[in-house]
Amino acid sequence: MTTPTTVHAATEALASHAGRARAGGTDVVALAHARRVEGPFVDLHRLTELRGISRRPDGSTLVGATTTIAEVAADATLRAHYPALVATAGALATPQIRAVATVGGNLLQRNRCSYYRNPAFSCLQSGGDTCPAREGEHQHAAVIDQGPCVAPHPSSMAVALLAHEASAHLADGGSVPVAELYDGTDPTRDHQLSPGRLVTGIELPPPVPGEAAAHHRATARSRAEWPLVEAVARLSISDGVISGAVVAVGAVARSPVRLTEVEDALVNSPVSDGPPPAALAGITGLCSPLPGNGYKVELLRATVTEVLERALRQD
Amino acid sequence: MDIVVNDTATEVSTDPDTTAVEVVREDLALTGTKLSCGTGVCGACTVLVDGSPTASCLLPATALEGRTVTTVEGLGGSHPAQRAFAAHDALQCGYCTPGFVVEAAAFVDRWRAEHGDVAPDRAAIADAMAGHLCRCGAYEGIYAAVAAACRGEHDTEPEHAPPRAEAMSKVTGEATYTTDVHPDGCQFGVIVRSTAAHARVRAVDGGGSPLVDLLPDDRTVRYVGQPVAAVVAPTRAKALAAAEAVTVDYETLPAVLDPESAREDGAPVVYPSKRERRSAPSSAEGATVPGSWSGNLRRSTLGSWRSATATRRLRAAAERDDPNLVTAEFSTGIQLHNAMEPHGCVARWDERGQLHLRTSTQTVGVLAREAAKRWGLSPQQVHVVAEHVGGGFGAKSGLTTETVAAVELARKTGTPVRVVLDRAEELTDTGNRPGTRTRLSLLATPSGDLAALGMDVHAEGGVSISSVAALLARLFYGTAPRRLRDIDVTTNHPPGVPFRGPGAAPMLWALEQGVDEIAHRRGEDPIELRRRWDGNPKRHALYDWAAALPVWLERPTAGSATGRFRRGVGVAAANWHYMANPGTEVEVTLDRGTVVARTGTQDIGTGARSVVTNVLAEELGLPVERVRVEVGHSATVHGPPSFGSQTTTSIGPAASDAARGLRAALRERVPETPPEGPVPPEALERAEGMRVVGKRHRDRRGYLTPFTVGDGFALGRGLSGAVHVTEVEVDTRLGRVRPTRVWAGVAAGRVYAPRLARNQCEGGVVQGVGYALYEERRADPATGTVLTDNMEDYRIPGIGDTPETVVHFHEGGWDHVRGGGVGLGEVSTIGVAASIGNAVFNATGWRPRDLPIRPDRVLKGLGS
Ligand SMILES: Cc1cc2nc3c(=O)[nH]c(=O)nc-3n(C[C@H](O)[C@H](O)[C@H](O)COP(=O)(O)OP(=O)(O)OC[C@H]3O[C@@H](n4cnc5c(N)ncnc54)[C@H](O)[C@@H]3O)c2cc1C
Ligand code: SF4
Ligand code: FES
Ligand code: FES
Repeated sequence: MTTPTTVHAATEALASHAGRARAGGTDVVALAHARRVEGPFVDLHRLTELRGISRRPDGSTLVGATTTIAEVAADATLRAHYPALVATAGALATPQIRAVATVGGNLLQRNRCSYYRNPAFSCLQSGGDTCPAREGEHQHAAVIDQGPCVAPHPSSMAVALLAHEASAHLADGGSVPVAELYDGTDPTRDHQLSPGRLVTGIELPPPVPGEAAAHHRATARSRAEWPLVEAVARLSISDGVISGAVVAVGAVARSPVRLTEVEDALVNSPVSDGPPPAALAGITGLCSPLPGNGYKVELLRATVTEVLERALRQD
Repeated sequence: MDIVVNDTATEVSTDPDTTAVEVVREDLALTGTKLSCGTGVCGACTVLVDGSPTASCLLPATALEGRTVTTVEGLGGSHPAQRAFAAHDALQCGYCTPGFVVEAAAFVDRWRAEHGDVAPDRAAIADAMAGHLCRCGAYEGIYAAVAAACRGEHDTEPEHAPPRAEAMSKVTGEATYTTDVHPDGCQFGVIVRSTAAHARVRAVDGGGSPLVDLLPDDRTVRYVGQPVAAVVAPTRAKALAAAEAVTVDYETLPAVLDPESAREDGAPVVYPSKRERRSAPSSAEGATVPGSWSGNLRRSTLGSWRSATATRRLRAAAERDDPNLVTAEFSTGIQLHNAMEPHGCVARWDERGQLHLRTSTQTVGVLAREAAKRWGLSPQQVHVVAEHVGGGFGAKSGLTTETVAAVELARKTGTPVRVVLDRAEELTDTGNRPGTRTRLSLLATPSGDLAALGMDVHAEGGVSISSVAALLARLFYGTAPRRLRDIDVTTNHPPGVPFRGPGAAPMLWALEQGVDEIAHRRGEDPIELRRRWDGNPKRHALYDWAAALPVWLERPTAGSATGRFRRGVGVAAANWHYMANPGTEVEVTLDRGTVVARTGTQDIGTGARSVVTNVLAEELGLPVERVRVEVGHSATVHGPPSFGSQTTTSIGPAASDAARGLRAALRERVPETPPEGPVPPEALERAEGMRVVGKRHRDRRGYLTPFTVGDGFALGRGLSGAVHVTEVEVDTRLGRVRPTRVWAGVAAGRVYAPRLARNQCEGGVVQGVGYALYEERRADPATGTVLTDNMEDYRIPGIGDTPETVVHFHEGGWDHVRGGGVGLGEVSTIGVAASIGNAVFNATGWRPRDLPIRPDRVLKGLGS
């Protein structure tokens, strides 16, 4: 194990394969217990330079990779400019997890499929060649079928960051749009970053003035439950008409997804009528549910309706 | 690595693979912090890191370097949050309590700094406590405690002792559970479990480690997760590695993994021979009910009464399409006990060949007797200790696997051996409430009396048998003819064991909705209908109370609500047979002015210590500080197991008898002792060492069973009763059912410890909410492996899911019972789910038939 104190040292350690990155550890430790990952680890918690939220001169905001979810949820500036992101952070996991879980770790965490997390099974995500969930237990599986694995992408932050068209900054100077971090057709990984690379921060483009945004997660219990469906909407409104729309959803596909068909159909609709049913009609066509998770199609439509209504109400 | 723990600078060595909870509990021996789920879900392991509550089970120990850590021990016992938890009885078994208390302490301090001494609303408290789970369901007390601490009501030393005798030791982390015990030289045992759903084991190779065999005589495993063997090593990590190195040679047999195919001709049979059938475990309390086998099915019609008449009436009614006939199929999911403290045992053989067991058990006495029998000892040679038990709910009775493994390994190695199950084992193989599929037929006469009842309950208890769901319908609604059939459908899944109100919870889910449906069809008030059908005067008192509740009087007409959020109110009744443990004794001795009471029972959160304390203090006119109750030791006079709602009604009267006996003996020794009223403390001091044993005398008119059955209990006369009135709000868009308020009326006679009894009833509501809405064990259909073997996938209610709960006790009607009161642990939970079902019907006009009422089912049911 190494505990670098500078980004440079951390990059070196990762590049020389001294170990895999461990930030808050909330996922890595759980996976180690399930025998899905092994040390040694490069601990990131001493990289104080990566922790914190700063507004940049061009109006964009940089959220350091080791900033905790709790810090995002409590940040007044973020709340003012990116309310749906803050709501997403405040609703995920539990207070005691949010206190240590980091933004970088959240984006790069592994999926929650019970087969993958159970050492008794082997599947595409753990080096095997089948997906036992497809034929087996899949009530929480993806309904937007992108490839052989049907474990929904776990990251809530990714949904909100995708909606905000954010990008990840890497220690080697590169930058990857959040949308490109994920590839739903790849059944072996939950993100596309190669192992040795270090995320230093997330860049949020400047806020859009006058925009309304909302977040919602559909669950059975009131709190602290993984969402069945999660959605974020951002709407710009001028003269009583929707002039710009972004709708991103989670827990329904292998990757967080933007519902571009819905977005397109929303633009130019009048605000007063609420979300136009026609805009939501396309959702069914995007979905190809398995025998046991068809309800997610309707729940997806309902959750998107929910966030659109809420965003429209703010106007 | 340097850290500051509870204000003391400490150096600990760090292994990069260890977690903070291991450092705290093992290296620093601060065992107040608990490890329960191990996956960041339950909050039992919460500590403050630089003042901020953090789950320590997923925190790498290395992250503590240079930080300050505060554990429950560091709060010192005088934090307002701790005092408030004790004063409001915000706990039962106490296993979740240190985590809650640490979180609450940080929250209360922060809240008061920001808002002053005002109470947060329920939602704010729920947000703050969202990362904690309490299986006992003490959430109502937790709401009250956090609010009171925020109002600044607990800043000074309390004037009164808390209602629960051992509360302070639980809120400070001092209370020791089996999982906290590590004697010197103790080794760690790990159980090797079957990876096959059905197989004959040809051979087991320990890979060089000492190994004990845990297979049944026929060397056959019948489910994934069944114990095969156990291995031992000086550390848990080494024991896990040793378990990994064990190879099991299976001769795979065909398995049957779903109840549908289990019924088919030619299906693989779980128990092919008579001998094997006799070895099938029972999921019922007490004796296995008689039944007849065919293939994987086992039928029992024990509860039927004028069955032919019932059949004839039901058939005729079906033929004529009688509007007073309700037929419907209901189902329930498999519920897991999931006590926060896992099963665990630390076993030691001493030089004299006697056996010492530290076990998380709800039956110290039964365990001592069963262990004695198994290892050829006299019961006096087995010493069972269960000082505090972190919940049981039925799953910790008698000799369970971890104890067998620990004892055998301890014998083999000559050292103490500790076996503590991990959460995956706990949620796979420590029992469950079998799932059911029930066909209900309920017929009323044109004038609205009960004409006939038919109930076929197919129980899915894996390899276990003896479901008694239909049988229990015999106890309801008079003596109308009824055809009651229990059908066990055996499959290659882990066995059920009794779970709080075994059989009754699934039976009432069907019956009480059927009754509601009849009332609805007849346009009658469901409480009025029950009043007519139910002759029991104690429940009549509850019906009177429930019918007068404003929420009931103002309830909506079924299905009349419109809009997205629909509110509805439902009712369900329940009853439970009264059981007592007639051999119960309470021994009292005088120790330097204190009355020390002992009995061979245990406190699993139900409050046994407090019941005995209250009775002795009241009858002897002493302050509770002068009474000390020691339970959780087998080496004393006979006490009841903590199941079957028999504990309080057994120990309460025995404690009264001991108090009377003590007063009489004192009057002989110290003549100034008054015949009634307060006993002067000097008298206690002068009679130092005096010992008196009180007995649980027979009830007037005796018991229904002439002899004690099962583990020494007797079926008493009379049924306890409960009526739940529940309000829900259904979100028709997102399919969520939210129970908002519950009124729980319970008729169990005298209430020995009122706040604790209320806590039990509130917890019963919470467990009922879990059963109704969230809980469901799921297994892989191809292999039978349990997938919900963690607390993320097995979903129990959290504080935010707790309805505001009002508990009402009707205390009369039990004059024939010694002490005047009976148990309420089971009757207070079994009807809750049906009241929710009826409330959902009232709100939406759609009747849920299948448990849990998940969002997908609501959306489908409403067809929106
Ligand atoms: C009870 C519970 C409920 C939860 N509910 C939710 C939920 O609703 N929504 C949700 O989104 N999440 C949820 N989570 C997951 C939680 O949010 C993640 O585990 C957490 O965000 C991961 O962050 P971490 O810092 O602990 O990551 P770690 O466990 O330290 O790391 C995760 C991964 O990211 C990599 N990594 C971390 N930082 C970097 C970096 N800077 N550069 C490169 N690689 C890096 C690590 O190598 C590892 O592969 C829940 C977790 C629990 C326990
Ligand atoms: S859904 Fe993905 S993670 Fe789950 S079993 Fe299939 S391949 Fe594995
Ligand atoms: S034991 Fe850590 S959260 Fe449950
Ligand atoms: S008191 Fe909370 S789990 Fe028992």
